[in-house]
Amino acid sequence: MRNSLLIAIREWKARVFSRSFIVMSIIGPIVILALTYLLFVFGDNGKQEWNVLITDPAGIMDGKINSHGSSRVTYSFANDYIEHEDFRDGKAYQEFDAMVEINGKVLQNKVSHVFYRSEPSTRMQTTVHYHVERRLEEVMVGQFTDFSIGEYLKIKQELVLGFHNVYDPYDKATDLRGWVGFSYGALIFVFIFLFGMTILRSVAGEKSNRIVEVLLASVSPNQLMSGKIIGIGLAAIIQFLIWCLFIGLGLYFMRENLFPDMLDPQNVVDQELFASAEYNRFVELIYRGIDYGIMVPFFILFFIVGYLFYGALFSGIGATMGTESDGQQFVIPIIFLLGFGLYSGYYVVNYPESDLAIWFYYLPFTSPVAVMIDLAQSDSPGYETFLSLFILIVSAAIFLKIAGRLYKNGILQFGHRVRLRHIIKWLRRS
Amino acid sequence: MLEVRNISKSFYRKEALNDVSFTVGKGEIFGLLGPNGAGKTTMIRVINRIVESDSGSVRINGDLMVNDDLKQIGYLPEERGLYKNMTVEAHAMFLGRLRGLSKADVNTKIDYWFGRFEINDWRKKRIEQLSKGMAQKVQFICTVLHEPKLLILDEPFSGFDPVNVELIKQELIEMKAAGKTIILSSHNMKSVEEICDRVVLIDKAKKVAEGSIAELQEERKAGLYAVKFRGSMIAFVNALWTGFEVVDKDIHGGDKFTVRLKMRNESSFDDLLKVLIGQVKIESAWEVLPSMQDVFIDIVQPRKENEDEK
Repeated sequence: MRNSLLIAIREWKARVFSRSFIVMSIIGPIVILALTYLLFVFGDNGKQEWNVLITDPAGIMDGKINSHGSSRVTYSFANDYIEHEDFRDGKAYQEFDAMVEINGKVLQNKVSHVFYRSEPSTRMQTTVHYHVERRLEEVMVGQFTDFSIGEYLKIKQELVLGFHNVYDPYDKATDLRGWVGFSYGALIFVFIFLFGMTILRSVAGEKSNRIVEVLLASVSPNQLMSGKIIGIGLAAIIQFLIWCLFIGLGLYFMRENLFPDMLDPQNVVDQELFASAEYNRFVELIYRGIDYGIMVPFFILFFIVGYLFYGALFSGIGATMGTESDGQQFVIPIIFLLGFGLYSGYYVVNYPESDLAIWFYYLPFTSPVAVMIDLAQSDSPGYETFLSLFILIVSAAIFLKIAGRLYKNGILQFGHRVRLRHIIKWLRRS
Repeated sequence: MLEVRNISKSFYRKEALNDVSFTVGKGEIFGLLGPNGAGKTTMIRVINRIVESDSGSVRINGDLMVNDDLKQIGYLPEERGLYKNMTVEAHAMFLGRLRGLSKADVNTKIDYWFGRFEINDWRKKRIEQLSKGMAQKVQFICTVLHEPKLLILDEPFSGFDPVNVELIKQELIEMKAAGKTIILSSHNMKSVEEICDRVVLIDKAKKVAEGSIAELQEERKAGLYAVKFRGSMIAFVNALWTGFEVVDKDIHGGDKFTVRLKMRNESSFDDLLKVLIGQVKIESAWEVLPSMQDVFIDIVQPRKENEDEK
């Protein structure tokens, strides 16, 4: 145990104090935050304030438009027809960012055109669209019906036909919840892959530089292997925590300083545009719907046991390699294996009741994802969750034992070509 | 100290060791010799419990060896490696602690050995910054850091320049004087001859010879004698008459010669000296024993030829 601990500490230090770890700890969150920032910015790019000219030669809008208190858009009206070339080049129109063309048939064909000088953000497009559409609806309601605008909007409102599972009438097991669980599972797999490859490279490196023989004179192959898996696993957890911390702080900073109105309905004038039903469901789900008291402990458990399971596989493969470059050819099947795990999550979200989904739930290769999805959708873990965890623990123990044999018999073999018959022989030998 | 009994080991169909036995006494420097692929490294790995033998046993101080005994062993493998990104000091600390030393003990030993090898300046250097010879020194220090009672060194002189070979040799001789037992495997027969008390020679997985250096040389001596003298070569040859046969001679310039000769009939070394005294001025005379290089080739070469004929 002492030797495993010493090996684990060395591995941990070698990873955590390596340049690549430090770079990844900084670059990883920066990339994620940058992508998030870009998503926010590109969703709201272009000018923040628009001066819009509405050409309405037929006087349909009667020079009126309700900007619903928005200071982002300023409207002016022109009662004559303006060619878009004139708008583009005419000195009188240079102060306008866009021109909305209201033609005489707009009430019949519901087609209008906007000519802009620089492409507006989606948000700006939606705002102008909303304002113009509301004004035209007012005109149409006045011309063609006896309803008030309020009554018209009630009629116009789309029917929401909610489909509910009779066994889950409150929609706890929604796809959205499933995807949140999937994200947890995917996170487990991403870290397993990143640090599993580190195990493989570390074992292959020790074989190729021959330090392994010095180590084996003091420690058993099993101690060496378990120390390596534990040390690299601890480094994985540290990196994971650093990512969480940096990303959390970054998002908090962005919300407080760069996008103060992003999630605050008080600051969003056109809240009906942005606080859509889907968005509200998601926010509700993230902040109130998921029981983190259950999710997080099981996430940690499946993360650790799943890592041990796959870590054993990676170290066993590393021990069988004859040269360091052998690692390259093992990467593709391993990617397939992890890809299969992720696909199983996609399948479970979409076909939760299928027989295959139940298999995925218990299969150790896929259970970390499948169980995360199930936990996100259910109130509490059932006996199935514990059974799946138990199977994963037993499988990890078996894989560690098998990998230990490969390690013991294969670790001192250098320069050979990896053949299946060698691996089978190594597995047979105690 | 160490008793190896009837060790056999095969890797699939290839026999690496076949019923090999030998004993290493306490305070001995014991040479494990053999051509490439003879099974020396496998034997060393068996002793270090890195590889399990198919049959046979290894005993330390009369008891069957157990894992805990590994703490008494310092092992320097032939294929040596170090973690390139670690500093010299961190590396020594890691390996010292793996061999059961406390942090404080390792620090004390590091101070002593780094001072002795004059490498205190390297402490904070990363291994990748060291030359091959420097790395070899670090590896040697890591091997002896925990003051093992039994040292097993596979090709300890490879990679060292002659100055450092002497340095390592002196260390080994001092360790022997301090009561340590040393097993070394080497192709450097000159060094083996100089420092080993006894050797075992393994060839094609089998033990083919064992004994002290003197015993092996005695067994394979060719009845050659050498005389170093000053005087006339003609007078020297005339004095020999029919009792001796000149094999070859070295001329050291002027009237100085060294002549190697064989005895004829019942002639003895005393007879040789008697006939020469008064004819030439004898500076020294001795019985020519084969070098360990000769012994090695003498044992291995015929076996190779037999094998080739088959």
